[in-house]
Amino acid sequence: MFKYILKKLIMMIPILIGATIIVFLMLHLAPGDPVHLIVGPNITPEVYDQIYRSLGLDQPAVVQYFKFLRNVLQGNLGNSILQRRPVMEIIWQRLPVTLELSLAALLISFAIAIPAGVLAAVKRNTITDYTCMTGALIGMSMPTFWFGLLLLYFFAYKGGYFPVSGYGTWKHLVLPAFAMGLTDAAVTARMARSSMLEVIRQDYIRTARSKGLAEKVVIYQHALKNALIPIITLLGLRIGWIMGGSVILEKVFARPGLGSLMVDAIFARDYPIVQGSLLVLTTFIILGNILADILYAVVDPRIKYH
Amino acid sequence: MQVVAEKDIQLAELAEPRSGLADIRRRLFKNKAALFGLSIIILLVLCAIFANQIAPYTYDELVLPRMLRPPSADHLMGTDDLGRDIFSRVVHGSRISLEVGFIAVGLSLVLGTILGALAGYFGGVVDYLISAVTDIAWGFPVTLLAIVFVATMGPSLMSVMVAVALVSWAGYARLVRGQFLSLREKEFVEAARVLGMGHLRIIFRHILPNALAPVIVMTTLELPKAIIVEASLSFLGLGAQPPTPSWGSIISSGRGYILEAPWMVMFPGLMIMLVVLGFNLFGDALRDALDPRLKE
Repeated sequence: MFKYILKKLIMMIPILIGATIIVFLMLHLAPGDPVHLIVGPNITPEVYDQIYRSLGLDQPAVVQYFKFLRNVLQGNLGNSILQRRPVMEIIWQRLPVTLELSLAALLISFAIAIPAGVLAAVKRNTITDYTCMTGALIGMSMPTFWFGLLLLYFFAYKGGYFPVSGYGTWKHLVLPAFAMGLTDAAVTARMARSSMLEVIRQDYIRTARSKGLAEKVVIYQHALKNALIPIITLLGLRIGWIMGGSVILEKVFARPGLGSLMVDAIFARDYPIVQGSLLVLTTFIILGNILADILYAVVDPRIKYH
Repeated sequence: MQVVAEKDIQLAELAEPRSGLADIRRRLFKNKAALFGLSIIILLVLCAIFANQIAPYTYDELVLPRMLRPPSADHLMGTDDLGRDIFSRVVHGSRISLEVGFIAVGLSLVLGTILGALAGYFGGVVDYLISAVTDIAWGFPVTLLAIVFVATMGPSLMSVMVAVALVSWAGYARLVRGQFLSLREKEFVEAARVLGMGHLRIIFRHILPNALAPVIVMTTLELPKAIIVEASLSFLGLGAQPPTPSWGSIISSGRGYILEAPWMVMFPGLMIMLVVLGFNLFGDALRDALDPRLKE
């Protein structure tokens, strides 16, 4: 088991290197002169030369990349152009805001999606099934940011139950977490249903039924356990999706997280911040994918560890 | 004479089992949800083609005295903060959604299918390399990668289209690779090889047509995703630039007026939802119709 986890973690390395190359290239492929991108266009040629050299732009791209990589490995993501503070420091401040929303949304999503999906599969082609799946289809068809705006309008502006924007108390978390959680639950519930249906079709379920076991025992003790395997692995994948989606929701609810930091930085052309937030978000998403693999191996004894 | 004709038809039916395509069409059109989804899609396409005829005003006509008017007979969806008719903007917006959807998904379909076909057909090192890149791209959230791309290339609809294509090809590649892995062992492929046909001819003329059904299903389900990504990026200001009436950017401009003029946010959002729902309903039904396990 330990070997398996280690192997998965080692597999992460090429992916992360790929991510650093993309992030490194961003600054170089962006239209415009990198020096002007960083300090603005109104500088004397002497200052330009000085910054050009201090950024290492006079060296070959490969050398520049390895310097960049060394800095990243040492936790040095450069300085923000606007805030004139280390990028790492700013990101550490913003990260908990994004993680809080992602975890709350994930909890809401799975707490709703798994029971709904299993119920729909067990009561297939009944009114319960249709209700659950119609709800899921509608949830899947709503853009998350628009659903967030609807919640904001009805429960904050009109109803006044929750604050309109900001961050700090649990009340600030409720609306964005439900906006993300409910739209995500739609996708997860559909997968839970088809996974459960797949299992119910299997021979051993027919055997269990023909042995005369009670339907409840068949469903909850025999079928559910196996149906949960693919669902649990979804957990890791959904973390990535939810963190990606929270970028947009943070703008809707004016939450000072990593996503709104990144979007603001794109408009301000604060490239070190964009690069840094991307790297951190990517790392979390890759960790989520690996967590999915590991969970899969833990819950499914058929998966070999080596 | 008539009796003979009827008999002939019956015989023909017996001798020739219903073709696969007719069977699929029959199952698809028996499904009411599929028909509902298909009618939404057809309406949307008509709306995009005849936008100039349907919209009562132009999408960028500014009439400041009539700003922020609620929905009425003159302005079915009200007016925005600059006095523009929202219904006309939403109608023109259907062009943007469809254009971005079709171009982006088309690009990713071509890219993903070619890479998946090469990986599945040749196997070995080719497969290993393509699969490694595919797996990395597949686990990645679309919105985030699209944001990276847009941040680099600058905000525009073009960036959004290329970004969506660069992100969603991986799904096609995985799907097509799987199809090719099983199809390349089939006898008809072997026959083609024995006849001395080249690799390209076998891939595109013999295997690919047999692998297309799931690709078509995937496309109907990828289109709504692309439409949502476009709307999301335009909402952030990273996609369509003013005065282009993308549904996402109409919602974005209505955000600041959500209390005084909620219709600015509601109607374009409802449109996105309806269109995405239409594609999802149709795509689901198509998948079920093509799934032999679900035959009654």
